[in-house]
Amino acid sequence: MKSLFKPWLMAVLCINVLSIFAVPSAQAHGEKALEPFIRMRTIQWYDVQWSTQKFNVNDEVSVSGKFHVAEDWPISVPKPEASFLNISTPGPVLIRTERYLNGKPWTNSVSLEPGGDYEFKVVMKGRLPGHYHIHPFFNLKDAGQVMGPGVWLDIGGDPADFSNTIQTINGEMIDMESFGFANGVFWHLFWGLLAAAWLLWWVRRPLFISRYRMLDAGLEHELITDQDKTIAKAVLVGVPVLVLALNAVTANQYPDAIPLQAGLDRILPLPAQVNAGLVNVDTLKAEYNVAQRAMLLQFSIDNRSQGAVRIGQFSTSNVHFMNADLASVNSKPGKDDVSNNGLSLSDNTPIAPGEQRTVTVEVRDAAWESEKLDGLIKDADSRLGGLLFLYDDVMGKRYISSISAAVIPKFN
Amino acid sequence: MSAQIPISTFKPYRGEKARLARAYDYLILVLALFLFIGSFHLHFALTVGDWDFWVDWKDRQWWPLVTPLIGITFPAAVQAVLWDKFRLPLGATLCVAALLLGTWVTRVFAYHYWNFFPINMVLPATMVPGALVLDTLLMLTNSLTITSIFGGGAFALLFYPTNWPIFGMFHQAVDYHNSQLSVADVFGFQYIRTGMPEYLRIIERGTLRTYGQYATPLSAFCSALLCSLMYPLWWKIGKLFADTRYLKRI
Ligand SMILES: [Cu+2]
Repeated sequence: MKSLFKPWLMAVLCINVLSIFAVPSAQAHGEKALEPFIRMRTIQWYDVQWSTQKFNVNDEVSVSGKFHVAEDWPISVPKPEASFLNISTPGPVLIRTERYLNGKPWTNSVSLEPGGDYEFKVVMKGRLPGHYHIHPFFNLKDAGQVMGPGVWLDIGGDPADFSNTIQTINGEMIDMESFGFANGVFWHLFWGLLAAAWLLWWVRRPLFISRYRMLDAGLEHELITDQDKTIAKAVLVGVPVLVLALNAVTANQYPDAIPLQAGLDRILPLPAQVNAGLVNVDTLKAEYNVAQRAMLLQFSIDNRSQGAVRIGQFSTSNVHFMNADLASVNSKPGKDDVSNNGLSLSDNTPIAPGEQRTVTVEVRDAAWESEKLDGLIKDADSRLGGLLFLYDDVMGKRYISSISAAVIPKFN
Repeated sequence: MSAQIPISTFKPYRGEKARLARAYDYLILVLALFLFIGSFHLHFALTVGDWDFWVDWKDRQWWPLVTPLIGITFPAAVQAVLWDKFRLPLGATLCVAALLLGTWVTRVFAYHYWNFFPINMVLPATMVPGALVLDTLLMLTNSLTITSIFGGGAFALLFYPTNWPIFGMFHQAVDYHNSQLSVADVFGFQYIRTGMPEYLRIIERGTLRTYGQYATPLSAFCSALLCSLMYPLWWKIGKLFADTRYLKRI
């Protein structure tokens, strides 16, 4: 018995410590944890921008941007029937006050359509000062988290400046930081004291050994007295009556209480922005050279627009591979984005209106490895996806194609 | 079982022996409290989990079904030991009180101070009234059958009305950017939870339909039925763990 006591006590203490720290809102966001084919071929983010990256507590900040839902959605990933645009933060250091999808207010989850184009905006408010690494990202039901581009935010000021009031339908203004807290503590204390009183009523007497012996000796009637029975009867009747009475009072106080709301928001995609038809890109071949960390992409480009176009950028999983020749027209990535001039073309001359050309694009950069995109060749689904940006610098137009192709590895 | 000691020869402990027995009482009580705070709380966090953590998970259908069903487990097992061996009618109340202590410590330290959630968003539910009914009913009837049926039933049926005074106010409606949300839903939207998208909440999903608007009473009665079955099951589990053989050597 004694030899077992110490490990037992240790186990109990460990369980205590564990249970206290077992909080589900883990902070690691694992932006590169998901298989590359999922990061490349589900939510394809672009033009993501923050209104500011330095602000104070209680100031508003917003992140807006666009995404294309890949047509070539992986077969192993459930379709995005319930999706939620979230923000990866270390806890609510910001609160989300508004969110829009295609300009429509969006509070619940939404069903996305593969091939659809969307633009989003999330408005937030600083709550706790600090230096935080934050991403917008999509929670996809049964699929995981697909990260948007990450940034560093600096929230300054005093946490005491934070205020968050909302208005109920009855016109009452409520402070979200304290609403219902005192009331909740009151009821917990109320029932807690009753429980404590009942426990103390028994604990004040000799307990285990003497009661065990007396029970063994057939002295049961001395263990439960008449007074105990009277009190127990009062509790047995009084407590349920009190519970029902208090419930009735509350029900009266909030006659218009509603159940939790859980409907899916219904928001349709925008008119096509990506693969819109004027400039058609067909991916003929994709080859990844492991030693050189270079992806060789062969496109057949059919320019049906009115002006000449050039390939300016290939972007996938928030990595931007830029064509240095088009630096002036290329859409600028955010300051914390991963971008490089890794893109070079077999033929960099503009593709004329009406022209159909096969172009070989080499995308060579260490980012394939550092961003863990090269894991593709070891996945069961080794198809690549991404957005190809073409520019008509005369007319100032941008054409975007969502491309996809099976990748063939070259090991030397 | 040892042979019954004839009543005439029973001698209560006195002096040093009584003092030691009392010290033993306190030792067991303190250890039991920690054991229940840890184990019941962990068991509860892993099973009821989000339903008890978040105000916007406390729906009218699954929350009052799941919580009493899991909540009655440890009370039944501990009652089996404390009542059967010691005629102490406090097993359920002790378990529920220990659970609440553990829960409050977690909510304040882990959720509030460590992860910055306002405590009003993570208020726990209470099951104290149900536990008091279980304890007193077992004491007055000394019957496993009656306590299972009526005690287990009451434990489930009292759960929602017990907690409505705490959570009712979170069900006021809000016109939030053109959609109707409850105050609880607004908490879920505003206070960002990275690992908890809205659709993860299980709200009126599945085959348990809400006939008309009577979701809660239906759930509560369903839970009452299940609790009446859960109670004797965990009573048996408590019996298995009960081992007072070493007491005989004292
Ligand atoms: Cu990151």
